[in-house]
Amino acid sequence: MENTYGLLIDYGYCTGCQSCEVACKEEHGYPVGKWGIRVHDDGPWEIEEHMVNWNKLPFPTDLCDLCAARTAIGREPTCVHHCLANVIYYGTVAELAPKLAEKPKQVLFVPEYKPLEAKGPFEPKNKLAGRVHHAAAIAVTENENFTTSSQRSDSRTDVGIE
Amino acid sequence: MEEMKAKPAVPLPTLGETNDLGKPWRWEEDGCTVTRSAPWSPPGCHPVGCGVKLYVDENGKLVKVEGDENQQITQGRLCVRCLTLRDFVYNPSRIIHPMKRDPKYRGQADKWEQCTWEEALDIIEENYRRITAEYGCESVVFFVGTGREGGTLGPYGTYMLRSPNMCYTQSGYACYVPRMAAAAYNLGSPYPEIDYAGGLPGRYDDPAFVNPECIMIWGKAPLASNPDGFFGHAVVDMMRRGARLIVVDPRITWLSSRADYHLALRAGTDTALAMAMLDTIIREDLYDHDFVEYWCYGFEQLAERVATMPAEKAGEICGIDPEYIKDAARMYANAKPASLQWGLAFDQKANGMQLSHSAICLMAITGNIDVPGGQILGNASSGQNETGFGFEEALGKDLISKMIGLKEYPAYANTILDAHADLTLQAMETGEPYPIKMGFFAGNNLMSCTSAEPKRWHDAMCKTLDFCFTLECFMTPSAQAVCDVFLPLATAAEEDGVDFAHYGATPVGTGFMNKALSVGECKTDMETCMIVGKRLNPQLWENYHDVYDFIDDLRLHNNHRFKDVCKEVYVQKDVEYYKYETGHLRKDGQPGFNTPTGRVELWSTMFAQFGDDPLPYYEEPQYSPLNTPELLDEYPYVLTTGARAYAFFHSENRQIPFCRELNPDPLVEINPKTAAKLGIADGQWCEVWNQFGSAKLKANVTIAVDEQTIHAQHGWWFPEDDPNEPNLYGTFRSNINNLVPNFHFGKLGFGAPFKCLLCNIKPLAENYDTDMQLVWEKFKREDQ
Repeated sequence: MENTYGLLIDYGYCTGCQSCEVACKEEHGYPVGKWGIRVHDDGPWEIEEHMVNWNKLPFPTDLCDLCAARTAIGREPTCVHHCLANVIYYGTVAELAPKLAEKPKQVLFVPEYKPLEAKGPFEPKNKLAGRVHHAAAIAVTENENFTTSSQRSDSRTDVGIE
Repeated sequence: MEEMKAKPAVPLPTLGETNDLGKPWRWEEDGCTVTRSAPWSPPGCHPVGCGVKLYVDENGKLVKVEGDENQQITQGRLCVRCLTLRDFVYNPSRIIHPMKRDPKYRGQADKWEQCTWEEALDIIEENYRRITAEYGCESVVFFVGTGREGGTLGPYGTYMLRSPNMCYTQSGYACYVPRMAAAAYNLGSPYPEIDYAGGLPGRYDDPAFVNPECIMIWGKAPLASNPDGFFGHAVVDMMRRGARLIVVDPRITWLSSRADYHLALRAGTDTALAMAMLDTIIREDLYDHDFVEYWCYGFEQLAERVATMPAEKAGEICGIDPEYIKDAARMYANAKPASLQWGLAFDQKANGMQLSHSAICLMAITGNIDVPGGQILGNASSGQNETGFGFEEALGKDLISKMIGLKEYPAYANTILDAHADLTLQAMETGEPYPIKMGFFAGNNLMSCTSAEPKRWHDAMCKTLDFCFTLECFMTPSAQAVCDVFLPLATAAEEDGVDFAHYGATPVGTGFMNKALSVGECKTDMETCMIVGKRLNPQLWENYHDVYDFIDDLRLHNNHRFKDVCKEVYVQKDVEYYKYETGHLRKDGQPGFNTPTGRVELWSTMFAQFGDDPLPYYEEPQYSPLNTPELLDEYPYVLTTGARAYAFFHSENRQIPFCRELNPDPLVEINPKTAAKLGIADGQWCEVWNQFGSAKLKANVTIAVDEQTIHAQHGWWFPEDDPNEPNLYGTFRSNINNLVPNFHFGKLGFGAPFKCLLCNIKPLAENYDTDMQLVWEKFKREDQ
């Protein structure tokens, strides 16, 4: 909680201005087609007469590094800085989690930068070490009564094969 | 004399512990010079003066742009159009040297030749002398657009060209000025902006401020447009502090989804709705009796008039339940304070002056004028910064009297000192009242934006203009079609200059642009105005030795020196409420309003004087289901156009990859039921057409519009497309203004039906989807 950082987003007031998306692309040099955060759009659709659902939700992608270079020197991430509605908060989960209780329509994200890369390269680890079953030296003979194993076995009555 | 001293900004709670609060206007950091600036344009935008920090390295290159947390209004926040400022500055298609082209090769992109400023000035001067000698100064027209500093730079017309014909090329000046005229004539103040504590040092927590209980947003998209210097997201700031909303808009918007009342009226019927709200408030005795008695004029007559438009009748016209209208009117009247933010939709109908007048009546009878959290007014010494500057001195009575439209539409011409748009088009087509032979485009790409029937304007200009030049950042379809000299325009990052919210007409603030770098041979609007002006009319420029003399005089009334005060970057103006009691609204210092009667005129002396009805009245749009039912077989849908997108400022930013990526194609909104009926799939290209023209756009199937309404984006051209005539970057392919006629304004010459027409729509088999990889490859920065 104290060492895990995240983004708290008050999506009740996210207007979908997409400043977070573009600020992020400029900060990280992500080209057209790549994003560190994306604004998802749910709506408008009608709940009932005179009542519409329309929520915009900035959603950090797998290219969000929480602006490591900026936050290392005590600045907030660029999406936080530039958000026109000022609805993105940066901090530790310990700082941000209690804020979730202050009002509804908020989410707390703990993004992971390139999660596949974060796992590191595949390294085989012999998990069976110590319990390895070695192949046994037993003689094998030819199978003179072969019937195809793809058919049901309850009869084993050589259907179609002499 | 107003003090020019910046107050410290209130920091946002999201700001990091390391920040630049309290930093000076310029400092050194990690090998960069950081300059704080409060830009206007380019990139085209309204004069908010949003704070930016411009990081320039030792090679003079702009390497980073960030929002400046010291700016008291924006507090570090920034929209996509300045976040991509570097991509604009270093766009490979930007033109950074002057160019010339033989007029016989107009429309041919490969015929441009780079030249020097001197050569370009020689060509301009030679043509100006020849043409004005034969046809007079009035044959030269300064064609303006919007949003660029040059678009409102009156001295281009007066001091530089010495022409009475500055012409905003949108039919009926269907943007801002109709509202401004209605306010100037009836309220005595050019713009009753909603109060967002912009001028107060403590901002929303300042003891002088009261957060509005209700904001009524009417025909406006403030969040994306930052209209006329209003920082749009201030609405969200106030919502978060408890303000509730009423939204009047044919479309569902993000704001309407959070409104207590969304009055989703049929496009163009707003005046009926406004009159019904007035009637409800008066009938139910919800108005401010004291304010009406002491400060308003003509209440009885207004009450009598609006009684002819009860909610039941308006409900039928607008397509809204009358009880819902009454409930909304009650909420607005009972909220204290309440503010009403009127938008562009007011101007984009022939009946718009009556709508603006009705809105002023609503603000007035509910007692919300010049009160904290209501509508704020400028004082007697504020007004639009440029309008009128040097007008009489430079032109003289004879030239002024030749202004196109001055006699026919004095309410229009006298408000903004502009030639009437439609009559200027007519003059170009007919040579009456005199020939138009030379043009200058400043901040105007009229063939992609601004003008109705753009091909008609194109044809008229191609036919009549012997010479035309422009000052621009990029080659536009309009410049490609008719310009013979192209001067390269500096961006706001390359400019020393001044901007004001509402061009100076509202008590919010003054921003200073501080030049952080130079690019090529680009010059600012102010510099170009002076350089060209000294060539064409040197006698008018004798007092100005350098551009700072000009800036000091025009922008700062010589009360301050730019070089001294620019270091303040952004200075809030002192706010004073209830000025009608102190005499500070009037030049004579007397209490009251700056109108003929000294009161807010619910019965309009000036409208009567101009020959219009002095009271609000409702007129159907010229083409509408009620007015022209005979057209419904052919054109069964109501067309509204031009809702704002975050990615673009009108026709700009299409060549900025990260902006274009947000909105790659021109979109037309259509209701799912209508789309299903017509066989239109989401994302399918469609043709939208009516009796005036057609355009191809891509379907966005959404309940944002109802079943009878179609909404189309505006301002589209395709910088990646073939630049040559007749294609001109595809500017006529998706231009929704092809469907909008000229000459459909109201009695005073104002308004045009950009937001209330009829149309039909059908699916197309072709796919015109933008190839974003192509846009990226073509327009990305060298270092990307």
